[in-house]
Amino acid sequence: MNQASLPRACAEVLRRDLTLAWRRRGDIAMPVLYALIVATLFPFALGPEDALLQRIAGGVVLVTVLLAMLLALDAMFRSDIEDGSLEQLVLAPQPLALMLAMKILAHWLTTALPLIVVAPLLAGMLHLPLAVMGVLLLALLMATPMLSLLGAVLVALTAGTRRSGMLLALMLLPLCVPVVIFAAGAVAAAQQGLPWVAPIAWLGAALALALVLAPLACAAALRIALDA
Amino acid sequence: MSHFFAMGGYAAYVWPAYAVFFIVLLADFVSPLLRRRRNLRELRARLARQTARQHRSATPAVNS
Amino acid sequence: MSKWIPLWLHKLGSPPIFYRFAGTLRPWFLGLALVAGAVALYGGLALAPADYQQGDAYRIIFIHVPSAWMGLFIYGVMAVASFVALVWRIKLAEAVAMESAPIGAAFTFITLVTGSLWGKPMWGTWWTWDARLTSELVLLFLYLGVIGLYHAFEDRRQGARAAAFLAIIGIINVPIVHFSVNWWNTLHQGSTVRILGPSKISASMLWPLLTMMVATKLYYVASLFGRVRADLLELESGKDWVRRIATENSVPGEQA
Repeated sequence: MNQASLPRACAEVLRRDLTLAWRRRGDIAMPVLYALIVATLFPFALGPEDALLQRIAGGVVLVTVLLAMLLALDAMFRSDIEDGSLEQLVLAPQPLALMLAMKILAHWLTTALPLIVVAPLLAGMLHLPLAVMGVLLLALLMATPMLSLLGAVLVALTAGTRRSGMLLALMLLPLCVPVVIFAAGAVAAAQQGLPWVAPIAWLGAALALALVLAPLACAAALRIALDA
Repeated sequence: MSHFFAMGGYAAYVWPAYAVFFIVLLADFVSPLLRRRRNLRELRARLARQTARQHRSATPAVNS
Repeated sequence: MSKWIPLWLHKLGSPPIFYRFAGTLRPWFLGLALVAGAVALYGGLALAPADYQQGDAYRIIFIHVPSAWMGLFIYGVMAVASFVALVWRIKLAEAVAMESAPIGAAFTFITLVTGSLWGKPMWGTWWTWDARLTSELVLLFLYLGVIGLYHAFEDRRQGARAAAFLAIIGIINVPIVHFSVNWWNTLHQGSTVRILGPSKISASMLWPLLTMMVATKLYYVASLFGRVRADLLELESGKDWVRRIATENSVPGEQA
């Protein structure tokens, strides 16, 4: 195999992952279905009172999306480890961090994007005011890539273990606390008519940092976990 | 003395707190000692098996 | 001058030498910790006067605050040892990092339990979503994540390296969590109860607190040495020096 140019290699990795995801369309629908079920259960548990649901809507949608993403996170590198293609990627001449960034992007496109698309529906079911919807979507657009990036590092660390579902949740919780706080804080502030730009700006700053550092950390973690 | 143990009416909170402190640290301290003893015992058993096997395989070699 | 220090450190880094070194020092550290702890307890429980606001309930401070300090301190030690383990691949540093985690988790757990035992009479509730309590809970989860990842691997050293990496990610995360939780607390106008408050702590209460802090530090070293010794025996179970220890220590009655 000749040394492919960097942009082409990136595009190939992205295309391969998206094709694989498209061949298993049912798996894409799973997190969405899960989020729908969880969001539906809240009114049954808390009562159909409009005011109460309105107050908790932003937080419930955020936590639901987070849990749905956690559900899909475990599978991020699973099949690639099983068929050995991840080790090929580690051995490839292209920088591993960049290749992994493409894989994370593909994962975000296939799991987080559908969730963001249905998020207005979930929020509407919980009577979130229409004026706040924009802020919620913005917060989700900032928070979900963060979760994908942080999650990818942890998934890479657990690559050498057999079962990692619950462990992944335990490891992700401390990392996603700040993300949840700022994302939900922005929605809550907007709902109370307070300025909401500051938390979104913090999220943006953290996202910019994570975009650069997380793929590098992910590559290092993968090398440790695969003992390369 | 009973005045001391009453802790000004807060005995139900102060003494359990101290009990937790000591129980947790005691468990923390004892567990590696037990682990060490168990490991050494297993290692000794393995060594004994090994020497026994060597002994058995060595004896026919001498006879033939 | 600069030549003998690395050599001395190198020697200490070798498992059999550290095993012996830790074995001789451990009883001393434990003894000093017990003495300091006993003095601190006497000073805190018997000598120090009752607080004019909190009565005798404040006496939980003498274990709560040192435990909280140790929870953070041990995390720092673990992160430094993890860094050393990842960069130089020293077996001893891996053992120190991984054996620090359970001790730190124990201290963090003590902090949470004693804090809620203190909060019940003072604030009227076992748990409040106060910034410090929440940070402490997150710290416990960080510890549990490191321990869980370490034990999830079949290969001990590989698990140690992965968990060390997680510990380093965690220490970057600790200030971020603290900052965000503080921000979250101001946003939601949470309870603004303070335990220590702005008032100065009197000397009769301060010295038992500081003595207890020294005692917990000494205890940590003693416990760490014991744990690392057990860990080294496991990691090196095929080596000659471990076999020698195993045969030396054989108890006559145990041969069955």
